[in-house]
Amino acid sequence: MKTLLPLIQKEFRSFWSSPLGWVLFAYTILMEGVCLSTAMKGLADTAIAENLVFVTFHSPNFWFFFLFLFPLITMRSFAEEEKSGTLECLLTTQIETWHLVFSKFIARILFYALLWTPGVFVFLSFGNITELPIPFIKEVLFTTHLYLFTLGAFFIALGCFASSLTSNQIIAGIVTIGLLILQYFLGFVTVIWGDQFAASDIFKLFSAQQHLTNACRGILDYAPLLLFSLLTLFTLLLTNHTVNYRRWKR
Amino acid sequence: MISAQNLTKAFGSRVAVDNLSFTVDKGDVVGFLGPNGAGKTTTIRMLTGYIPPTRGSATIAGYDIVKESKKARQQIGYMPESVPLYEDMRVSEFLKFRGKIKGLSGSHLKDRLGDVMEQCGLREVKRRLIKTLSKGFRQRVGLADALIHEPELLILDEPTNGLDPIQIRSIRSLIKDLAQERTVMVSTHILSEVELIANKVVIIDRGQIKAADKPANLVNNLRTAGSVLLETKGKIDTAPELLKALDHVKKVKDFGLKEGWNTYEVVVDAGTDARERIASLCLQENWQFRSLHRQGASLEDVFVELTRQD
Repeated sequence: MKTLLPLIQKEFRSFWSSPLGWVLFAYTILMEGVCLSTAMKGLADTAIAENLVFVTFHSPNFWFFFLFLFPLITMRSFAEEEKSGTLECLLTTQIETWHLVFSKFIARILFYALLWTPGVFVFLSFGNITELPIPFIKEVLFTTHLYLFTLGAFFIALGCFASSLTSNQIIAGIVTIGLLILQYFLGFVTVIWGDQFAASDIFKLFSAQQHLTNACRGILDYAPLLLFSLLTLFTLLLTNHTVNYRRWKR
Repeated sequence: MISAQNLTKAFGSRVAVDNLSFTVDKGDVVGFLGPNGAGKTTTIRMLTGYIPPTRGSATIAGYDIVKESKKARQQIGYMPESVPLYEDMRVSEFLKFRGKIKGLSGSHLKDRLGDVMEQCGLREVKRRLIKTLSKGFRQRVGLADALIHEPELLILDEPTNGLDPIQIRSIRSLIKDLAQERTVMVSTHILSEVELIANKVVIIDRGQIKAADKPANLVNNLRTAGSVLLETKGKIDTAPELLKALDHVKKVKDFGLKEGWNTYEVVVDAGTDARERIASLCLQENWQFRSLHRQGASLEDVFVELTRQD
């Protein structure tokens, strides 16, 4: 812990000492605002039997900006350390590879969580600002953000893994977005092919969209939370091995 | 302090370091020499625990670099070749971060920060962003980082690489000061630097040790011949033959007339001094002479002799 804390602090601070952190923060607020205002317009124009949180997050707009967040958050994590040589400086002190993987992941999760706080605040103050009946219950806000957090953790772990594969952060970003798009389209397999085949349940389990839909309706399903938490751990383990493998073969 | 036994590193079929065995005693200042691609950095990376050896073993202050890697690494202050630093950090912020990850905290960390900044002359730039520093100051920040946890062993990979002559002199003097209190291993191919600071030299080439001894012993044991420079005038038509007839003289090179004086380089066997015999010959033949200078072998001659490819 004595060495983990300064590593986490350094990683977290690095977002704010460069324009990237501020740009991402502004980008998320802006895009979440676009999704919310589009949802409000939709609810005002059409009678939809869903709550505001559901309509906000259940849209292509949301997935477009959501998936692009992760390469931007993670692409520098290992690629830049390797390219600049600072990885060698870090790993020749008393810290171990897993310290580095864990601290980079934790710092990014904290940053990611922070990105959603203005949006939560906007939802919570909806009634006060509009003086309209609040079109959702608070539990929905909780389940949605709990699910976004768990899914985000997995996507951040995937991004860190992609960054550990290369010393070029652009390539790391492209690999990340490729993996996320692949994961996103896995969710459409049962929509396109139906669910009358043996492996359809597995595809449903991996469907990020379907789970978000449930969470936005206030359904707290532990299976996807557990699945994505385990996948996060597995991906971090893989990242740890990749970092070691790449430095040992050089 | 360092004991390497048959240290070997292979990358696939390419053997970068081949059965390297050497020791470095406590308090030694060791010059680790070799041409580019000789395996210096790979050896250093194994010693610092960054990459594991394929075969063999090494200990740092008695700790095995693989089995007790963490303890071994704690004994080392390491500055890699390109001095990688976090560009967006300020000098004091960077050193504080490095101190923390090396296990320092509280007043001890604060004291050490003050000490290393003083020692490395960083006080005036402590608030500056690292990306705005000159190469010389960056090198000093790297040294301060290597020193912050008071390591017993300092390993510096090409510490004067890319510096101008003034900066080289300043870093060299800093290393000399640091070497008074600890064991230092300096990898370089600037031989004059090693002659000035090291009391032991390890020369490697193509992954293998070519020599490991004190610089003076290496020079004395050099197989290459030494030479004597002679400037003389008089009736000297037969001079080359007469000089060549002297004991231990291997060859005489005639450089012709320079400012009215005939100049010869008399190449002699290693470890011999022919000056007395040459002087006697000059007196005997009534030649005037104004210069009789012995050109001894240098560490550079040793290096070239041991690492040349032909």
